[in-house]
Amino acid sequence: MRLLKRYLAAAALIAATPAITLAQDAKRPETLGVGVFTFTSGPAAAYGLPGRNGAEFIIEMINADGGIGGVPLRATFVDEAQGAEGVISEFRRLAGDASNQVMIAALSSANCLALAPVAEQMQVPTIGWNCDTHQLLQEDYDYVFRPNGNTIPEFMAYAAYLLDKKPDVSRVAIINPDYAFGHDAAEIFKAALKAFKPDVEIVAELYPRLGASSFQTEISRLSAARPDVIFSNLWGGDLENFVRQAQPRGLFTTSQVVLALGETVLQRVALPEGVIVGVLGDGWWMSPTSMANEKTQTFAEAYRKKYGEYPVFPTMKMANTFLITKAAYEKAMKANGDAWPTRAQVAEALKGLQTTTLTGEVTIREDNDGIVDQIVGTTVKSAKHDFPVIGDMVRYEGKSLMPPVGQDPFKWISGLDKSFLETLPKPGSYK
Amino acid sequence: MLQSLVPLLVDGLANAALIFFVAVGLTLVFSVLRILNVAHGSFYSIGAYAAASIGLWIVSSGFSPYLTFPALLLSAALVAALFGPLVERTLVRWTYGKSEAVQILVTFGLFLILEDLQRMVFGVQSLYEDTPMALLGITEIGGIVYLNYQLLLIGLAAVVIIGLRLLIRHTRHGKFLAAVVADREVSQTLGIDTNRVFIMAFALGVFLAALGGALATPTSGVAPGLGAETVVLAFAVAAIGGLGQIEGAAIAAVIVGLARVLAIYYAPALDAVAPYLVMLVVLLIRPYGLFGSVTTRRI
Amino acid sequence: MPLLLLLAGLAVMAVLPLAVPWLQFTLTIALAKGLAALGVAVLLRAGLISIGHAMFFAIGAYATAFLMRDLAVTDFATLIVASTLISALSGLLFGAFLVRYRAIFFAMLNLAVSMVLFSLLAKLYGVTGGTDGIRVATPSVFGMALARPVFADVLYYGGLLLAGLVGFAVHRYLKSPLGAALSAIHTNEVRLEYLGVSAWSVLLVAYTLSATLAGLGGAIAAMAIGHVVPEFAFWTESGHIVLVAVLGGIGGVVGPFAGSIFLEVVQTLAVGFAADAWNLIIGLALIGVIFFLPRGLYGLMETRRRTSP
Repeated sequence: MRLLKRYLAAAALIAATPAITLAQDAKRPETLGVGVFTFTSGPAAAYGLPGRNGAEFIIEMINADGGIGGVPLRATFVDEAQGAEGVISEFRRLAGDASNQVMIAALSSANCLALAPVAEQMQVPTIGWNCDTHQLLQEDYDYVFRPNGNTIPEFMAYAAYLLDKKPDVSRVAIINPDYAFGHDAAEIFKAALKAFKPDVEIVAELYPRLGASSFQTEISRLSAARPDVIFSNLWGGDLENFVRQAQPRGLFTTSQVVLALGETVLQRVALPEGVIVGVLGDGWWMSPTSMANEKTQTFAEAYRKKYGEYPVFPTMKMANTFLITKAAYEKAMKANGDAWPTRAQVAEALKGLQTTTLTGEVTIREDNDGIVDQIVGTTVKSAKHDFPVIGDMVRYEGKSLMPPVGQDPFKWISGLDKSFLETLPKPGSYK
Repeated sequence: MLQSLVPLLVDGLANAALIFFVAVGLTLVFSVLRILNVAHGSFYSIGAYAAASIGLWIVSSGFSPYLTFPALLLSAALVAALFGPLVERTLVRWTYGKSEAVQILVTFGLFLILEDLQRMVFGVQSLYEDTPMALLGITEIGGIVYLNYQLLLIGLAAVVIIGLRLLIRHTRHGKFLAAVVADREVSQTLGIDTNRVFIMAFALGVFLAALGGALATPTSGVAPGLGAETVVLAFAVAAIGGLGQIEGAAIAAVIVGLARVLAIYYAPALDAVAPYLVMLVVLLIRPYGLFGSVTTRRI
Repeated sequence: MPLLLLLAGLAVMAVLPLAVPWLQFTLTIALAKGLAALGVAVLLRAGLISIGHAMFFAIGAYATAFLMRDLAVTDFATLIVASTLISALSGLLFGAFLVRYRAIFFAMLNLAVSMVLFSLLAKLYGVTGGTDGIRVATPSVFGMALARPVFADVLYYGGLLLAGLVGFAVHRYLKSPLGAALSAIHTNEVRLEYLGVSAWSVLLVAYTLSATLAGLGGAIAAMAIGHVVPEFAFWTESGHIVLVAVLGGIGGVVGPFAGSIFLEVVQTLAVGFAADAWNLIIGLALIGVIFFLPRGLYGLMETRRRTSP
């Protein structure tokens, strides 16, 4: 027993040493390997594939532009549809290969939560391109970053917009996917409504399984509850299914519908006018800010030429994440006398990083959480496109909707009241 | 009170109709061939993919959208014609008289093969084809808007039960089928071509599974994983009704459909558990299902 | 003879990760699934096929996760023992009812119980984390907090040792009258009962043993992956466990491990070019083995040995 103890202590020491030797290896590699995690099959691929396309596309652009510090990017894509076990195994395999230096992971909040401790164990900088759940960074991490904002500002924004747009709302129904993202969003949305308008009643709360193909009974249940407002953060194939099934059954005419991820289906299903939609952040390629950015417009047009569809916000989020990765490398090289940075140095550089993306600005706080603005609006007919676009927009400043670092978000929300709404910009103010 | 019960019933029946076709196919195959086909759900999803693909092709080629209705039936028939005899003659037939373990494993192998074949043929993205639903319009019942297509499915399910009953009781082939179900050896000695009966029954089972898949497409998307999900639900329904009991499957489908609806209305957290909970409770009390008969242990 | 083979196998497994370090994780998972497959193989000897056995794998895995999260148990040995015990108890409990049935009904009832468990794990978000599952932190060993690579070593070699011990114990069990009675149930159950042996108790022992093995595998997998998800209990997982057992061969204790290691390693190696056809390949392999190699891969080795002088 004592021998074993001694072995363990020795092994612990040995295991710690290679990290130090690795840190001094500063030669430029031939390629910069990046593991990219997204859904490329199944219902969730409707959201995941535009993300993958965005990655491929921005990598092409970055590489054509000389890569990062002269090193071209090389991505390995991992399909998250294989489930957490497979995703974690693939992550371990990729991170175990030294030629992969950064992980862009993941799409699903569930996978993000599962991967974060693995990333920390393996000391590989991991940038959550779509890890919105606020639970992600409740622990202290050195290698896990989320540059895209989280569920707190995202769903605070919807509550604020809804109450500005429809101040007399009293009966609210919720239908969200049955996992962290859906439950988080419901909790935040409910907490915000309770703070801003305590008399709102939640008349139905449904959590269909992620990837459920039929929502017919849920739709009956929602109709029976007679809500003024139906809030949903369904996404991907589920959202398309829900819209296709709910629209003929009249849900969109009897209730004000809020689809938090509605922008992703604007080009795929015929959403009626007046639906409250947004992009969970600032990633709307047609926002006034984006329209003024020539680079973004070139990106969007070239993207459409290649994939037959305009980018959706997952595309923009993914592309922005790569720009952030590039900025981190450049910052790390600058700090490192232009020598190629180690994984640890890249992680270090991500802390406090500030950069311009295709759709706005991002700042990474000291808790590794990114601050981005939140755009919310309402669907309107477009003069230029054959699909509805977002009108009557508001752009909330990211910081204004986030609790201060270290504060429990729900405590923060419950401390707010109606007067908080008055400090925010109004619908239609972002033109 | 009554008013709120009506939608519950309609939803329950609509739910039941969706699972009835595939479950009755499973139970029919079991009653004649005495095998539990684990790959049965794959025929459901292949039927769904076929129907969605053919429907999309009809719409994009500019044919009358009303052609999508016969296309639903046609795609199920195609799947049955393609897979029924082929699978029965090559794989399933080989397992007759072998232990249940072998039968389950062979059909599980088939399930795995068909899962990947579907991905190769139909891709991994979701397909949507809702023309038949859109053409039929809506009806308001008890203050809730329903799709006429949902009501049509309930009717179709009823037609299929009656049809199967007529087929088995009143046609020559059906009587052969019933004879084989009752006693395989005696039917053989009486000169019934059991091989033909087996092919027929298996193809009919595949047809019913594929039909279930095809009929589901207008109101729901088709994506990978559909087969794996459907087959356990079909097992549950078939087991509750009693394996091999056609009317039993119909009643079990209604019970499971209602259980799911009740869960969604009153205890949403239990919606996915409901069918299996019903199955467990029923099997705890009646291990051979509600209408199944106790078979003696083999010596 | 099989014992020698077991020892040789253990020796190869012990040095393999030294030569190919990245294989260690794959091999740890293979061991975990091999344990579950061994459990299923025990039942298959009695002619009973369970398409719900992944539930015990899941029970072992979730037991580890719950013990860590809710009871703050962090010790490796305690976790392994407690999780295995919990699976054994659930095996005893479910088994008492399930082993009354045979053939298709046994298979279906196991499926029913496992699907109830699966959907409860997936649906009770507040308790089980729903489809997100639960994180499993790195356990401590003898009170020492270890760096992950060191713990991975401990887990692998500890798992190997356990697999060796368990393999030996199961081997002895199968040779004992209790084990021999299993085959007797398969061939002629009534005759066995005429001899005054209760088939129910013979099977209950086998069922509890198989649940224990699967639970141990689940606990190891939970620690190796660092996360547990409801999919562990899904019926296709159960199917895969049976597949592994049959592919490897249910003749001896080495077969299920051989099948598991073979499959996991080939899958890892083939991920680049055969990922899209992996199910197709193992489906064909399964049918091929049932048709042409009824004794599995292990049987292949066995016949070779027998034919060589």
